[in-house]
Amino acid sequence: MADVQLVHLSKVYDNGVVAVNDLNLEIGEGEFVVLVGPSGCGKTTALRMVAGLEEISDGEIRIGGKVVNDLPPRERDIAMVFQNYALYPHKTVYENLAFGLRMRKVPKDEQKRRVEEIARVLGLADMLKRRPAQLSGGQRQRVAMGRAIVREPKAFLMDEPLSNLDAKLRVQMRAEIARIQQALRVTTVYVTHDQVEAMTMGHRVAVMRDGVLQQVDTPQHLYDAPMNLFVASFVGSPPMNLFEATIVQENGRISCRVGQVELELPSDVVAQRPALAEYEGRSVAIGIRPEDVREAAGWDGARLRGRILLVESLGSEQLVHIEIAATPLERADLIDTAAQPPGPSLGVEDLERAVTLLGRFDRHLLLVPGGAVEVAIDPRLLHFFDLETGVAIPTVDVPVAAEVVR
Amino acid sequence: MSSRQLSKVGWNALGLAVFVVMIFPVYWMVSTAFKTGPNIFSYSPKWLPIPATLANFGDAIHRQYFWQNVRNSLIVVCVVVTLSLALAFLAALALAKFRFYGRKAFIVITIAVLMVPLNALIIPLYITLSRVHQVNKLSGVIITYMTFVLPFAIWTLRGFILGVPRELEEAAMVDGTTRFGAFVRILLPLVAPGLVATSIFAFIQAWNEYIIAYVLLSSPEKQTLTVWLASFTTNRGTAWGPLMAGATLTAVPVVMFFLLVQRRIAFGLTAGAVRG
Repeated sequence: MADVQLVHLSKVYDNGVVAVNDLNLEIGEGEFVVLVGPSGCGKTTALRMVAGLEEISDGEIRIGGKVVNDLPPRERDIAMVFQNYALYPHKTVYENLAFGLRMRKVPKDEQKRRVEEIARVLGLADMLKRRPAQLSGGQRQRVAMGRAIVREPKAFLMDEPLSNLDAKLRVQMRAEIARIQQALRVTTVYVTHDQVEAMTMGHRVAVMRDGVLQQVDTPQHLYDAPMNLFVASFVGSPPMNLFEATIVQENGRISCRVGQVELELPSDVVAQRPALAEYEGRSVAIGIRPEDVREAAGWDGARLRGRILLVESLGSEQLVHIEIAATPLERADLIDTAAQPPGPSLGVEDLERAVTLLGRFDRHLLLVPGGAVEVAIDPRLLHFFDLETGVAIPTVDVPVAAEVVR
Repeated sequence: MSSRQLSKVGWNALGLAVFVVMIFPVYWMVSTAFKTGPNIFSYSPKWLPIPATLANFGDAIHRQYFWQNVRNSLIVVCVVVTLSLALAFLAALALAKFRFYGRKAFIVITIAVLMVPLNALIIPLYITLSRVHQVNKLSGVIITYMTFVLPFAIWTLRGFILGVPRELEEAAMVDGTTRFGAFVRILLPLVAPGLVATSIFAFIQAWNEYIIAYVLLSSPEKQTLTVWLASFTTNRGTAWGPLMAGATLTAVPVVMFFLLVQRRIAFGLTAGAVRG
């Protein structure tokens, strides 16, 4: 076991494409760090550089304190699980599992002992004589995992190992991998584009975009305090509601105008974000998580009036699409556009500029598409972002970091 | 009978007809080889060689230069197969694995070479080879055969190599092999069927070639078996019985070679390596 350090790591391809741009990341001993981001964000390239399968253009990689930039993969003592498993098709399951040990000249009886132990743990004991072609997708995935585990390497590198499984199996293997990692306490770097996987598995999650690291944090902190619009829009399913609002000041009270409605910001919200006062008269981006959108019954603050577009029942709760009057965020370059809900419906006349607000409501609320609804938004739960840079307006206990890179 | 069944029967009948058309000349060759002289020329065709005789085979084998020409054919084929396989494998490896300047052009040219009708090139080829003193020599024939066997072999092998996912070698390298070790332990076993298929092709091409050998090799002791077969036709007519016996004998090595290696063409050996 060892820690893995990426220091000012960059990858520039021959055609000038920058895949990874000045990445700094420290993965502690025994830590499970997930690299997550939309496709093409450089997460796989970064992982392959750690494995030694991709040349490093600039920067340093240290494993266990030792710079490994020029070491071939075999001398780095890492194990990798590939997205497509990459099992050796001409070898049996046993030979697949034993291959790494054989290459490292582990004695035969020791090989046998370790392979059989792993096979038992992963439920592959009856399949050691089969070839990969005779296994199901889930079993192949286990063999690929086993091949990494049996080596007892310094670190695991996993490149989207679950993306080829069907949804049910994926949830099951997700827990299994997390459990194995916990039991073995092996330093793990896990790459995925699925933010749910990232949130559920990682001790810490590193969000990347266009080769640049956006934020590294615990899943909970990432969710509660995204440092910029991209992280805010990428993390969370359904994603955070984001739209524009204007900061106005009247009689020393700061409020935030959404459409025609003014949401007064309590003094503690303002005190927490001293910079907010500087935005007076200007637009900011505000965000609110779907579960923080409430039906207004019993709320004595300002209410937003909206129209229900769609009700999706999830069984335990319902997901309600509500059209409200507000200015949509026009800086699509600052957010993860793939995660955004579709724009307002056609034929909207009374609301000139409208955004779709997603709300997670109690399942007992009777809501009908087309009906009117009043929603309450607690200003304490709002997230504020600068519209120019996309960076979160700093709160006193959360210092600001990198801006969104376009 | 439903129309579905009917069409199935129809297709099967068509397949059978094609089979008969293809197999008949072979059958006729073998059966004629065993016929006695009068039966070969009888007005009503004799389907079965009864009474059978081995005299035609004896005649063919004891002709002048037979064993010498067998030896020539074997030399040409062995050299062409080994040389083209070795060269083509390395070339295909480079084309499949590395990005280098002119790679695409190289691939296109390789195929373009195959498009040129060889018969049109015989005279220029002859002149060129005679300038470098390669006419009437087996080496000249070998070089010429390579020109059309090699491009095809490169092309086929490249396909086989591309069929092996890159991740397999990478996994082996992470598991502790060198790049060369990954090549020997992972890639080579997986492209073996491709090597076999390509060698069959090269063998058949080189063994059966007639026109180039005929033009380039003038002295009878230097000729190959296909040219030797033509010697059965003289000004006084064709010795059909011995010719057919000779042709049957000539076909044997190709069939033998195929039967010997065809078990190894286990296509789809990479199944299960990756999801797909």
